[in-house]
Amino acid sequence: MTGDTILEADRIRVVFGGLTAVDEVSFTLRQGEIVGLIGPNGAGKTTLFNSLVGLQKLTSGQVRLMGQIVSGQRPHRLARLGMTKTFQNAALFPDMTVLENVMTAALLRSDLKQARMKAAQVLERLDLSPIADADVTDLTFPQKALVEMARALATEPKIVLLDEVMAALTPTEMDEVMGVIRSLRSEGLTFLVVEHHMRAIMSLSERLIAINFGRLIVDGAPAEVAAHPTVIEAYLGHGAAGESNHA
Amino acid sequence: MIQALIDGILLGGVYGVIATGLSLVFGVLGVVNFAQAEFLMLGMYVAWFAWHYFGLDPLLGSVLSFVIVFGLGYVVQRTLISQVLKAPPSAQVFLTVGLMMAIENGALMLFGSDFRSVNVPYQMAGFRVMGLFVSAPYFYAFIAAVVLSILLWLFLERTWTGRAIRAVAQDAMAATLNGVDTNRTYGIAFGLGVALTAFGGAVILPYITVSPTVGQQFVVLMFTVVVLGGLGSVTGALVGGVVVGIVQSVSALFFPIQLQNFFLFIIFIAVLALRPQGLIKGA
Amino acid sequence: MRNLLTPGRIAIVLFFVVAALLPFFVDARGHLLRVAAMVLLFAAVAQSWNIVGGLANQISLGHAAFFGIGAYTSTLLYLNLGITPWLGMFAGGVLAMVAAALLSLPTFRLKGHYFALATLAFAEVMRVIANSWAGLTGGPVGLTVPFAGSQPWLFAFRSVASYYWIILALLLAICLVFHLMATGAIGYRLRAVRENEQAAEVAGVDTFRVKLIASMVSAGLTAVCGTVFAQFTFFFDPDSIFSLSGISVRMAMIAIIGGLGTLGGPIVGALFLIPLEEYANAQLSSQIAGLSQFVFGVILVAAILIQPRGLMAFWPKRNATSTTQPSGDKK
Repeated sequence: MTGDTILEADRIRVVFGGLTAVDEVSFTLRQGEIVGLIGPNGAGKTTLFNSLVGLQKLTSGQVRLMGQIVSGQRPHRLARLGMTKTFQNAALFPDMTVLENVMTAALLRSDLKQARMKAAQVLERLDLSPIADADVTDLTFPQKALVEMARALATEPKIVLLDEVMAALTPTEMDEVMGVIRSLRSEGLTFLVVEHHMRAIMSLSERLIAINFGRLIVDGAPAEVAAHPTVIEAYLGHGAAGESNHA
Repeated sequence: MIQALIDGILLGGVYGVIATGLSLVFGVLGVVNFAQAEFLMLGMYVAWFAWHYFGLDPLLGSVLSFVIVFGLGYVVQRTLISQVLKAPPSAQVFLTVGLMMAIENGALMLFGSDFRSVNVPYQMAGFRVMGLFVSAPYFYAFIAAVVLSILLWLFLERTWTGRAIRAVAQDAMAATLNGVDTNRTYGIAFGLGVALTAFGGAVILPYITVSPTVGQQFVVLMFTVVVLGGLGSVTGALVGGVVVGIVQSVSALFFPIQLQNFFLFIIFIAVLALRPQGLIKGA
Repeated sequence: MRNLLTPGRIAIVLFFVVAALLPFFVDARGHLLRVAAMVLLFAAVAQSWNIVGGLANQISLGHAAFFGIGAYTSTLLYLNLGITPWLGMFAGGVLAMVAAALLSLPTFRLKGHYFALATLAFAEVMRVIANSWAGLTGGPVGLTVPFAGSQPWLFAFRSVASYYWIILALLLAICLVFHLMATGAIGYRLRAVRENEQAAEVAGVDTFRVKLIASMVSAGLTAVCGTVFAQFTFFFDPDSIFSLSGISVRMAMIAIIGGLGTLGGPIVGALFLIPLEEYANAQLSSQIAGLSQFVFGVILVAAILIQPRGLMAFWPKRNATSTTQPSGDKK
């Protein structure tokens, strides 16, 4: 199911003051892959995401999207080229309704009228239509995460970086979301997923990338990565991310 | 030309001190104080009254300005500014703008709109150095500015309060954990910041006349200096001040005096466009 | 259809109807009509400011610069080249838009106060230049717009009522622009930028471009208001037209007190503040110079202290947009 190279991270380094948050991380994603990114808290996953979508400047290294160098470009251009991400604490637009939030993203490729329709369609797909007119401030946390995902999908991306979409979801909801991700994948989307629910990420991903202290530890099949001694140590050593259910 | 350079440096030193106050306030509290220039005006008035009623030379009166405006600034911070430290930037902007309007017009109501100036024995005097004329008022003001800068440096580096201020500027949370009373520190930093600007105003009394609106002349200048040196950087403000002083003097050779502000503004925008963090790195 | 007749909308339509009829009920030569015209003009100016200050949430402290650019451009073109202010108005607007672009480009990348600083500095610089370049601008004595009787094609009318209606039309036009921007695609994008700039970027919104457009439109409209002001008052000088407290802060306050970012805000604010000022000035017979500005300053400080989260929080969440549901549903 995998095709051409979609995303290439080429020796990405992000250094803040004295801290090296991301240290020479390289990997490649092919179209249609669902790749999981794991690592204990503070390992640099969000910073890595931010550097991929253009929210964070790279100290050195390159990001290539479908062969095109995109590092240093602003996030909206990357969105136009097909890459977007979700935020860890659901960065929705607080004074807008669910539909309006998603519409804003749909405006990237459509005019106002079409954007409204497309947004409604995306919400439908994620079973969010009932809350389309709700104020986002009234939503529960899992709902917000899903709206965030809907908003990302409304940009009609080729690759989506999901940052803990499934935190605080019930197992049923999780299965539903995983189903959506899989079906989107079969339509050609690529996903890079950060998730603390080990079971979810293990079953969803066909490949895992483990990082710690900003460095890539291992990149391979889930079973192999999970058994990797450094990975185990990283998690056990830090009190195990495991199956935590807290948001 | 060299003459202009000398003048520029002498003036610039004072500009630096004036702007350092602004930079300090921003660096520590994160607030851009649009009312800063009004404290300059207040400092000038204090020194003027000290001269008018007690015959105190402005150079000494500047100390009085410093102390009085410091106290005023501390109170203003604790009562007003502190309320908006966590508020959105628009709230901070409008609070300090409102303060600016209140102070300037309050002064207008209290002191009237007349221009006042001092008369000191050395006002027109100067020294001849290698064929160049060094104006005495410029020179003394410059010396005063240098002295204050050194004292400021010592304060920030060597005293506990000074270090507390720097700590809070870097990381307020960490500072609290280390036993620093951030509220008090903010108050002191703000008071210090406006006092510096007030001092700068007082020492230039021999060559600048004071009126309630005198602050406005310095607004663009102050902000240009601070942006040049990097918002929040004390050394930057001092260096930036000298640069601005030189630009001002040198441009006065070729262009009408009023256009100086225009050139400063060009610099201001250019720096923002090309190097927003300022020309000088570090605080 | 129910979306069309929200209470807010009805109120605004009613306002325009009443305003249009006012000259028929009031002494056309009297003071009241003049004040009313000024109220409308300031509402128009505040609404222009509202586009960048409210919709885009970029605080400008120097809109007086654009106001003055409008006034000076049209008046100088008329005095020197005989060009009618109707055309001069557009020239002023274009100049103001260029100036706004030059101010916005470097500052919008940075935090909010830089734009405020840059606009403040720019207005001050304009004031100083206008004062000193007497050869071009007439210097501190200002410029007088000549009046030679009714010459509509030269924007000169005999009756105050004519100016009044033109100003009303101007206000209506600016309100329409505001409404179109607020409810159109750009409105969504601006709201997104206001509420979470990073998320907006990631969702594909070109945050600079959108803020830049708002800034330029706002400046252009403000300049047009400046031209109208010059034609209506026949005289202006650098210190008053480029004034920070008299123009820049005043228009911001009107928009804010009335309701930042809302369509009706500037109208409400002007209806409230301008008559209040007139009354205060009349009572004190301008005896104490600076009193009204002092009070302005104190009110502003007090307002912020009462509601540090910004003056918008004073009013129930009123959307500038019509959105997908009647505005009554929003809290």
